[in-house]
Amino acid sequence: MPRTFKEKLLSDDFLVTAEITPPKGTDLNEALEDAEILRGLADAFNVTDNQRAVMRMSPLAVSKALLDKGHEVIMQLTCRDRNRLALQSDVLAAYSLGVRNISVMSGDHTTKGDHPRARPVFDIDSVQLLGAIRKMKEGFDLSGNEIGGMPDLTVGAVSNTDLSKPMQLLKLRKKIKMGAEFIQTQAVYDTGQFQTFMEHIVDMDIPVIAGVIPLKSAKMARFMNGNIPGINVPPEMIELMENAEDPAWEGLSICAQTIRELKGLCRGVHVMPIGSHSRTPELLEMAGIRKDN
Amino acid sequence: MIISSAKPFEEILELLKEEDDIFILGCNACAAKLHVGGELEVIRMQQRLEEAGKRVVGWVVPGAACSVASFDALVEKNPAIKEAKAILVMACGSGVSTVSRVAEVPVYPSNNTNSLGGRSQGEVIPELCAMCGNCTVYYFGGICPRGQCPKQLINGPCGGSKDGKCEVDQDKDCVWELIYLRLERIGRLDLLERIWDPNGIPD
Ligand code: SF4
Ligand code: SF4
Repeated sequence: MPRTFKEKLLSDDFLVTAEITPPKGTDLNEALEDAEILRGLADAFNVTDNQRAVMRMSPLAVSKALLDKGHEVIMQLTCRDRNRLALQSDVLAAYSLGVRNISVMSGDHTTKGDHPRARPVFDIDSVQLLGAIRKMKEGFDLSGNEIGGMPDLTVGAVSNTDLSKPMQLLKLRKKIKMGAEFIQTQAVYDTGQFQTFMEHIVDMDIPVIAGVIPLKSAKMARFMNGNIPGINVPPEMIELMENAEDPAWEGLSICAQTIRELKGLCRGVHVMPIGSHSRTPELLEMAGIRKDN
Repeated sequence: MIISSAKPFEEILELLKEEDDIFILGCNACAAKLHVGGELEVIRMQQRLEEAGKRVVGWVVPGAACSVASFDALVEKNPAIKEAKAILVMACGSGVSTVSRVAEVPVYPSNNTNSLGGRSQGEVIPELCAMCGNCTVYYFGGICPRGQCPKQLINGPCGGSKDGKCEVDQDKDCVWELIYLRLERIGRLDLLERIWDPNGIPD
């Protein structure tokens, strides 16, 4: 009997989670095929929620489709698009459909996405949403009405690993206080910096799953450094990418090395490829990760 | 103060397309301080409207457009209003709405109303307060994240700031950066540990 994500979280396993992007449209095939590539390799799939404020299919539907295929999912839930009624109502829906893991985040602002005039909601924030879900797990909604409880729900949150931002760490502390049971991070390139982060939060005692994004080119690396908060690709890596004959392969190889280093530092990796997971199995193999449970 | 800004003159002309015999009502409070509703701007508006072929029957700059007793009181002080077939209010939306409640003719706004801000040492600060109805700004060092963070986050910043700048506007500091620095300066970083519940009540 395969173990649940929660059971694995409580074990000593090195976990692999992988991002699945819902379709821009109604066809689920691509998302399902993407997940199929990683059957037996990923412990759970993070289903993104209108990521970067770009409108896509609801993660609830995609999560259900993945569950039906026997995958384990971590449904993401952002505070940008729903008020507290809708958020709680989606949590209920997800649980009743079999979703057992939810990861919450504020969400990028609507002005950053493909519907820039959309009204951003942010009725409650990620810390408050974690608190709300904790209450729901115990059987009450935010207003204290009885709802029956959701005992098997595991809740996660995201965090920056940039120590130069003391407020981010304070917020991480609040998230854990309000019931976050695991953390997934923004993509890590500088494992030295990540190690310092881990040392800094050792007292928080929470499983950390470090994000990784394989680089595809030096240009992409520079773009991420310049545009994506919390990402720091070291210059040596950019140079390696610059001089590579096969940059995509070089990117995988750098990423595999990063994963190997992360194995000693945290509880798992979260693979966020740009595009599909077609090369993720190769990446995991290069990193020495084989799973079959 | 309420921050308002002048609509493009073309838009005002478009609004007044069907109107003539216009009375202009300024505002000597916020709009005057922001130079979008004081005497100078009202006179300039009269000139421009007249250049565009409109008849302006009179103007006034009351202490505050958002505080009007009655239409009679308005007429009593400005008899010219009786001739007016339309009123152009050079104030914030509150001023326009207040005048609309008492006036017997159509009332038009010349300004866009943006936010509750302030002016400090000559600098206009567009956003300070979101008028949440439960002022807790003290806990944030007097820098309100509800008013100034585009996501209204009160438990700490989103992960979107870069080099201390806001995800939404790279020209603006992330308000949480400012709150942190300010509380550090006054030795009250402890205030940041509070967890705010969904009703905006501190733990
Ligand atoms: S807490 Fe902020 S938004 Fe609310 S009244 Fe005070 S300054 Fe305004
Ligand atoms: S970057 Fe700072 S000010 Fe901008 S939305 Fe995020 S927390 Fe708010």
